[in-house]
Amino acid sequence: MKRVRHLLEYALLRVVLFFVDVLPLSICIGIAHTIGDFVWLFWPGRRRIAIDNIVAAGIETDGKRASRLARTVFRQFVRVVIESLKSDAYFGKHSWEKCIAWKVPPEVDALLADPKRGVILASGHLGNWEIAAQVLSHRKPVLGITRRMNNPYVDRLMLRRKPRNRFETTPKRDADLGRLMGALRDGKVLAIMIDQNAKDRGMLVDFFGRPASSHTAIALLHLVTKAPLVFGYCTEVAPMRFEFRATGPFRFAPTGDKEADVRRILEHLNRELEAAVRDCPDEYLWGHRRWRLPESATRH
Amino acid sequence: MVQKDILDRLRDIIARTGRDVIDVKNIGEKDTIASLGIDSLSMLDFLYDVQQEFRIEFDPQELVAVKTLGELAAFVEKRIAA
Repeated sequence: MKRVRHLLEYALLRVVLFFVDVLPLSICIGIAHTIGDFVWLFWPGRRRIAIDNIVAAGIETDGKRASRLARTVFRQFVRVVIESLKSDAYFGKHSWEKCIAWKVPPEVDALLADPKRGVILASGHLGNWEIAAQVLSHRKPVLGITRRMNNPYVDRLMLRRKPRNRFETTPKRDADLGRLMGALRDGKVLAIMIDQNAKDRGMLVDFFGRPASSHTAIALLHLVTKAPLVFGYCTEVAPMRFEFRATGPFRFAPTGDKEADVRRILEHLNRELEAAVRDCPDEYLWGHRRWRLPESATRH
Repeated sequence: MVQKDILDRLRDIIARTGRDVIDVKNIGEKDTIASLGIDSLSMLDFLYDVQQEFRIEFDPQELVAVKTLGELAAFVEKRIAA
């Protein structure tokens, strides 16, 4: 049964991809918004999560306004997927340099220009994270830690479709530590999403004033390798026109108190992400269960 | 610090890193680090602890050639002496 569902999803995706490839950008964006509205309408559970998260984070206090924002976010998410799929051909035709503006501190700029310096990039599900990695890879090779999709057919197809350039991925579940460290040593950008729910393996760190289980690997990697830590994301300022924004580099020295060191870094990164989300709340993926507490934290 | 002290302290760190899963009493210097079954995240914990315990700094890539606990103890000893 599961296999049949996966095959049906795969077939539907192939149809969507066909249209994405042949239709002009403006029509694709229209389709993305329609699919977003459809998902919004027929996935009430996810809609509720998004609205609750927006209100709990204090982005909107009024339910109706939160609901409007959540609907925009659903549209935005489908748009992220469709624009990412279209970006390789689009950037090839219109030149990627013309589609991106860099708003990064001079020291980050220098790091990106130095082929010998590895960088740990912390990012979140904000703006278009796929295009962020893609454009960044034109300046410096990128290794992204990604989560495999539940549907293996879709997973394989998306991997084939992912813009290659100098952007490689490694699955989150069996990320090889040697490969991650090798990437930093080889002067690559190691891109890590910091807003995934780490469940029982994470550390509870405040995000928008509420504890959220956060992965500790990024902090430990920084403490052990001393590779500079940068926060960055890519926001869309017009159709297929992006601004890559970054802060940092941040450097934290280990003190011997591992838990305190890791917490300090994660709190800092969460604050960076919070500030960025406040700048463009309609581009954040509010519909994920970021604040769902692990069993160990709720068991009393 | 002699290699035996270093080995004992490394075993303590492994005990902390592996929590209850690893029986450190049975780990010999010829045992490989890979055989301890430490996953990537715990390995980062372990490297942090090694750097802090012995107050040494190293590029983790330097450990690529280090396979056994005894080799790690020798590596740490050299770093302390440097």
